[in-house]
Parts: sequence; C-alpha cells; structure tokens
Amino acid sequence: MRAIRFVLALLALAAALPAFGQVPYQRVVKSDSEPANWLTYGGNYYDQRFSGLKQLTPQNVAGLKLAWAYQPTRPAGNVETSPIVVDGIMYVTDPPSTVTALDAHTGNKLWTWSPILKNVVAIGLFQTNRGVAVLDHRVYVATIDAHLVALDATTGAVIWNIVVADNKMGYAITAAPLAIDGKILIGTGGSEAAVRGFLDCYDAATGKRLWRIWTVPAPGEPDAETWGDSVPAGGTTWNAGAYDPKLNLIYWGTGNPAPDWNGDGRPGDNLYTCALLAIDPEAGKIKWFFQFSPHETHDWDSSEPPVLFDDVVQGKPRKLLGFANRNGFYYVLDRATGEFIAGAPYVKETWAKGLDAKGRPIPIPNSDPSPEGTLVYPSITGAINWTSNSYSPITKLFYVDAREMGSYFVKGTTTKWEMGKFPMGAGGERALSGDDAYGAIRALEATTGKMKWEFRLHSPSWVGTLATAGGLVFSGTDEGNFFALDAVTGKPLWDINLGSSLRSNPVTFSAGGRQYVFVTAGTTYFVFGLP
Amino acid sequence: MSAIRPLCVAALGLFVCVPAVLSQIPRDPTPVVSKTSPEDVATGKKLYEATCSRCHGLDAGGSDGPSLQGAPERLGDEAMGGIIRGGIPGTGMNGFGSLSAEETGQVIGYLRTLGHTADTEIAKGDVTKGKSVYEASGCAGCHIISGEGGGVGPELTRVGAMRGPSYLRTALLTPGTNLPQEAGAMERGRFTQFLFVHVVTKDGHSVDGTRVSEDSFTIEIKDATGHFHAFNKLDVQRIEKIPGKSVMPSFKDTLSAPQLDDLVAYLASLKGAQ
Repeated sequence: MRAIRFVLALLALAAALPAFGQVPYQRVVKSDSEPANWLTYGGNYYDQRFSGLKQLTPQNVAGLKLAWAYQPTRPAGNVETSPIVVDGIMYVTDPPSTVTALDAHTGNKLWTWSPILKNVVAIGLFQTNRGVAVLDHRVYVATIDAHLVALDATTGAVIWNIVVADNKMGYAITAAPLAIDGKILIGTGGSEAAVRGFLDCYDAATGKRLWRIWTVPAPGEPDAETWGDSVPAGGTTWNAGAYDPKLNLIYWGTGNPAPDWNGDGRPGDNLYTCALLAIDPEAGKIKWFFQFSPHETHDWDSSEPPVLFDDVVQGKPRKLLGFANRNGFYYVLDRATGEFIAGAPYVKETWAKGLDAKGRPIPIPNSDPSPEGTLVYPSITGAINWTSNSYSPITKLFYVDAREMGSYFVKGTTTKWEMGKFPMGAGGERALSGDDAYGAIRALEATTGKMKWEFRLHSPSWVGTLATAGGLVFSGTDEGNFFALDAVTGKPLWDINLGSSLRSNPVTFSAGGRQYVFVTAGTTYFVFGLP
Repeated sequence: MSAIRPLCVAALGLFVCVPAVLSQIPRDPTPVVSKTSPEDVATGKKLYEATCSRCHGLDAGGSDGPSLQGAPERLGDEAMGGIIRGGIPGTGMNGFGSLSAEETGQVIGYLRTLGHTADTEIAKGDVTKGKSVYEASGCAGCHIISGEGGGVGPELTRVGAMRGPSYLRTALLTPGTNLPQEAGAMERGRFTQFLFVHVVTKDGHSVDGTRVSEDSFTIEIKDATGHFHAFNKLDVQRIEKIPGKSVMPSFKDTLSAPQLDDLVAYLASLKGAQ
C-alpha cells in the first residue's frame, strides 16, 4: 500500500513538474494540430503568427488578468524577444544574447545561458535578440557576435558553438534561427558595416556548415553587372525566414545595398538586395527571387518576415506568400514560382506611382535622398520594420502593424563604405515624428492588400500582431498599451498600459488548460490569462 | 588621435538605429567637458551625425530616440558624458565607450548649439522693471521660476538660456504660435508640448486644457487652473487638438510697449542654475 502511495506521489510530482518536450521535425510540420504550443519563431513554418486557441474570445477577453511577470537579471538593451513554448516550457531570450527556460505556468526560471562577449561590434543594429529555434532536444540561438549555438533543452548545456561570421567585420546576429529537418538556417545583420550578405545552413546535429548562399555577387560573378563598377555589399538576411515543407522551399528576405543613402556608386538593380529569395534547402540553391526595391536608396530593407498562406485567386487555388514591405507596398506572390499576383500600398507612400504588371515599382522622379533633404513617405524606419505580421485562415485577413511617418532623406556624401566601419557623411533622415506621425493596425484582404479595417495608434509602433482562432488580434504601442482587437471588425476589446514601450511580437500558448498571452514591455515579460 | 583606436562610427542602420557600438572598450577616464569652439562644434557635428543621428535625428530633434535639443543644458556635461559613453541599461541607448572624452565633449558642444533661439539678439528693456511686470501681471500663477509659482505653463527658470528675445516676445503676444516640440514626457518622437486640447464628453460637457500625456487609448490634459482631467478616448464624443491655440492669454492689449520690452528683458535674463 505504501509502495502504491509512493508511486502515486511520484506520478503527481511528475505531472506537476514541467516536462522538457522532444520536438522532432514532423511535430513542427504539424504544429497547427497542437495550438497549446508555439513551436517556431512565427508560430508555424508559414510564419503566420496565428494560433488555433479559442479560449480567449471577443466576449471574454476584457477579463484578462496578469498571470505572471518575469524580469531578466540585467538586460543590456531593447527587449525584442518572441518566445517558443513547448509542453509547458518557455524558451525566451534577453539582450544581447541570453537564453532562459521558464516554467510557462509560473514564470519560474529553470535554467539560463549567456555567451561570453568581448568587444562586440554592432553597426546599424541594436544589441538584442529576437528568439530561438527548437528541434528534437535542442534549443538553437544565434548571438550578437555572430555565433550559432546549440543548447541542451533540459539543462542549457552547450552542445556546440560555432562561428557564423567575423563580428569584427560588422557581422552580428539578432534574429531567431529557423530549424527544419536536420538543418538550422541563419542569416546575419551588418549591411551598414558594408559586409557581404549571406544565408547559411548548418547540420543540426554537429554544427557543420552545409551550404552558404551569398545574397550579393563577388566582383566578376553573374549579376555583378547590376552593381556598376562597385564592389557589391549589403543584402544581409537579418530577420526570420519561412518554410513550406511540401514545396521544400525556404523564403528569406534580404536587406539594403551599401552604401545606403547614396546609390551613385552602384548603378543598376543591385541584385539580390531588397528581395525575397526562395531557396531549395537540400541543394542550397536559389530557385527564384523577387526584388521589391531595385537600386534601393532609402534603407528600406526587405527583411520583413514573409507570411505563407493558401487561397483561391481568380477561381484557382494558389499557394501564396504575403509580404508587407518597408517600402509601403503589400505584395502577394505565388510561392511556388515567384509570380507577382497583386500589390498595393498599405500606408502613405510618395516614392512610386505604383507597381507594374510584374510588381516592379514605377519610381516618382526626385524621390531619392538629396543634400538638402527630400521629403518622402514612408520614413527610414519604413512602413513596417522588423516586427511580424499575422494571417488568420479564418478571416483570411493579413494584420499589419503599419507606420505612417515621413522623413527628409539626406543624401550621403560618400559612395564607398569600408567593411567593418561606418563612414562619416553617410546621410540619413530628419523624421517627421511626434504629432506628424501615427501608427495603425490594419487588416488587409490577404489576396489583394485591400484594407478592410484599421485601428489607429498614437504613434508608429514596434510590436507586430498576433491573430487567434478565438477571433482576436493582439498588438501594442510605443506608449505601453497592450491591447486586443476584434479580428473581424477591428473594434478594441481590451487594453492595459504596461508602463513602458512594447518592442516585441506577442505570442499565445496554453498551459494547464489555460490560454495565455505573452508580451514584453520595457524589460519586463508579461503573461496574461483569464482568472 | 591614435590610428589604431577603433573609430566609433555611425549608426545609420538597418532596423532601427544604433550606431557603431564597440562595447567593453576601456573608457577614457578624463572628465567630459563641453567643447564649444567653432572647430570643436564642427567636429562634434560630424561625430554626432555618424554616431547618434540614426536614432535621434540629423537635427537631434528626436526620431526613434528622444530629442536631444536642450539635453546638455538640463543634464550637464558629466551626466551627458556618462550617458553617451556608458549608455542607458535596458534601453536602446548603447554606450559609445570608444569615444574619447574630447570627442564626447565635442558632441555635447554641438548639441548645445541646437534648439536655441537664444541668439545674439540683446533685449532692450530693463530687467528689474521687467521682474515687476512679471509679478504684477500674474505670470507666477502659471509659471515657475526657481521653485516659486504655478505649474500650468512651462517652467521659466532657464528660459533665457534656451529662448531669445524675439521668441519670448512672440510667445507673449501670440501664445501658442511657437510651441516647443520635444520628446519630453512622451517617450519618443517630437511631440508638441503644451498642445491645446478641447474634449467634449458624451454628455456634452467640454474641457479645455494642454496635453499632459497621450497614448492610443487615453489622453490627459491640464486645465487653466492646473487641474488634471483624464479621458478614455473611446468614451468621449470628440477630441480636438488645436495647434497654435494656448490656454495662456495674449498680453498684446494688457501691456504697454515699454512694459513688454522690460518683461522680455527679464525673461531673457533667466539663465537659471544647472
């Protein structure tokens, strides 16, 4: 009898303890079948930031209460993290490159790991980290000094730690890696340090590099003619990518060419900067590309996370890709072929008359930066920046965190940048901020970009959106508001001021049968649920 | 300047801002002092544009980071130097430890030239008489000087260090025409300070005041008697923001020309203590 009690007690204890889940690749492929968890940076491989959870609804969301809060010990910069949640364990990061496992029921810390960083070079980017990837029994994180590290999911012990690129040259990583079948993909930042952009693929078990795709050609290589006589630089892959397991294609955006606000030295389209690349992960080859902003001069990277979805266009079922670009246009592409299907501005933009039949922008003359400053919308920070959009397969709407702001773009005095250094006289902006700017959560018809509703914000925000099957859209503001909107109408349903700017994408998960919503404000991590 | 010292370079970057940050480099222990010669200011401008402008704007008027116009006057050289070289933990403001004390002083010297209209113009009135006009006109009911007065309008303890006679004269004759735009209480961006707001509630009650704070869901204003009023934006009939209008009355018809000159001279003399 005593033995039975002991076993029962052990079982009860085991049930109470968080379980460190195994996450085989197939489980991530089918992540939509287990909405309690949030298994990739974007929630699923399609990067939809959509959760099938339905416990929170427009009827009850006003009852949300704080469940727990967590504060990292000494976050060194802006907190921009988006966690992964597996079977009651949350894997989350804080700046610059610390990984922590928390009990998702309580916020209790289980383990934490930080790299040893010395003389970090971070040019043109914040020293922050946006999240991890999980695969099998490992957590993968990329660090600000451009390492890729595999940690044991149970203990945080380092399994391998490899150098992706030379940080002294300006390569730095803030993005979450993407884990697919036995492979880890990661890009870097550093276009402002004039580095040559690339996307890398590593063996998940060993950390051995399997391939590297350069995003800009070396002098003399194919496409180098799109750069005039200059040495191609920039095109870094500094944000998250998406994946279609059936097509077996990876989708990744690329950043601006260097130098930025003066394109005189690099006449041509500057391939493959400000573009979307569709990559075969087995061959390590680009299958197709779509360049959003040829010969870009406004710092409008195309590194926003792509969102994959399926819908019917002109009577035919299509595999699609939605992309809200920093340049102010929303694009719909066929993700199997790269064919341009639709495109429309989703904010005020004053640099292009529109897009031609192939999706190439038709520039308005004299909208380039000038020595005295040229007023152009959107601003340098773009119509959206690094944050993620969401897509609901129920409403078929694309929810974007739009930034309505213009800038006087000042042309740089230099046409050549030195790798690893930032030149004086690069140019920049005088932003029309404050009362001259605003933000909005906008719901776009995903197949066309046509706006269905908007909810205006006091200022342009840096939060991203989260959509749920319960019929909600969550986002936040620079003034500290965290809020829920009705996914169909945009009507505000609940809000709370968390006292500091929100700078991270919200996510939702379920633990112990309760649906929770996670977001960060300032340097505190908040989790809300119904009482 | 040593050729091997890492160049602290600019910040015109990808996502948001942040400049060349070479952290954990031993910092020059020399105390930071503003460098204000024309040559130093010119160098400071170049360093500023390369290092700070991506977040704070090319004119330091604020962008993703707050406005820095007037910051050295408010904080002083030592605190400014500490922030520039050490950063502010938990925010996007990284430290620029590779800037020398001299270079940091040049950046601060450049910032001290911005956001001022306190130019070379000399006020022609009498400071002592102007103080009497200030006291007799009820200005202290709304403004604070050296800890005394009401807090409805901006504090004037250092107004003469920031604003010149022509600006002050305009402010007295047509209040609201040149409202300052600063990050102020708002965290980021160049928001209009003391913006006039007219709120009409759903029951038809209306309140006028200046904006104290605002977010996407709420607005808080201060009326002419100094009382605060908070509104949920979803619960009011309408909110009108009226740039150019002010709760401050014009003194165009209440002061004589000599009184106005004297009051301007007095205000222009207020340089305050740091």
